[in-house]
Amino acid sequence: MGVAVVARILFLAIAALGLLAALGTVLSRNLVHAAIHLVGFFLCVAGLFVMLEAEFLAAVQVLVYVGAVAILLMFGIMLTRNTRGDDASSLSGPWRTPGLLAGLCVFAVLVFGINNAVSPAGKGLWVETTTRPALVPRDDEPAWESERRRAIDDMARVVGVEFMTRYAMAFELAGLLLTAALVGAVALAHRDEHPSASGSEDDSREETVEEPVGSAPS
Amino acid sequence: MANDIPLSWFLYFAAAAFATGLVGVLLRRNAIAVLMAIEIMLNAANVNLVAFWRYGTPAAGSGPLPGVIIALLVITIAAAEVAVGLGLILLCYRRWRAVDVDRYDSMSG
Repeated sequence: MGVAVVARILFLAIAALGLLAALGTVLSRNLVHAAIHLVGFFLCVAGLFVMLEAEFLAAVQVLVYVGAVAILLMFGIMLTRNTRGDDASSLSGPWRTPGLLAGLCVFAVLVFGINNAVSPAGKGLWVETTTRPALVPRDDEPAWESERRRAIDDMARVVGVEFMTRYAMAFELAGLLLTAALVGAVALAHRDEHPSASGSEDDSREETVEEPVGSAPS
Repeated sequence: MANDIPLSWFLYFAAAAFATGLVGVLLRRNAIAVLMAIEIMLNAANVNLVAFWRYGTPAAGSGPLPGVIIALLVITIAAAEVAVGLGLILLCYRRWRAVDVDRYDSMSG
């Protein structure tokens, strides 16, 4: 019983930290502070993955989100230096109340759904399914339980095997999507280097910032 | 770890994080801040996926860890989305000299 209480306190601490970090990401006016709060949120989510016994996923979360996505966002912040005082007016004024109201309504709807929904197995509420399947082996356990226990014990290998067998098509599609996205991002952000067009067009664009797209000089 | 954290606690956390991300998407004017809020929402969905994987009974033929696989795919898609989104933001920044989404109103009537 003591272990359960410690686990619950640990969960509450991680969840509270994560929510505070998420709020800091949304509310902080300085973008760099927002990015640092976002890193904290990612780490808290990784901690929750560890509490759900998905350690490999927590490692992937730290590698991809903290290591790659956050750094990419930092580069984006540095490359788009705010010249028009975007930081000072981070929250758009007249829409603040409707936005907060929409967020609260979504949260209320989700909590209502969590409290009232019936679990897929059809026996009771989600709130009442407090026990997750234990990792200790039992005599009369069903086959999927021992399979899952082996998968949790050796998650990296099982993820690899699953990606190569059952989810091979999804794996290939994810690789294709990543390639297309990265090539597309490079193609989007690529500055046109033609000497004849670049100079005049860039100058005119900087001068006619207020013009709509259609009236760009031809 | 311990066996009796209720499933609903993870769901409440994910719901709160999702609502926070939604508020960020709706209220922030900076495009990069909007991208960060979208990342928060994707992470909330990931927490839900893994929690349901851990607590539920898997469907027949779905393998030992369907939720983890789908969460990995979501992480992949989030990475791709950040790359494309930052490319678009840089393009718009070069065009309008601002990352304020309120200024990207060329298509409004």
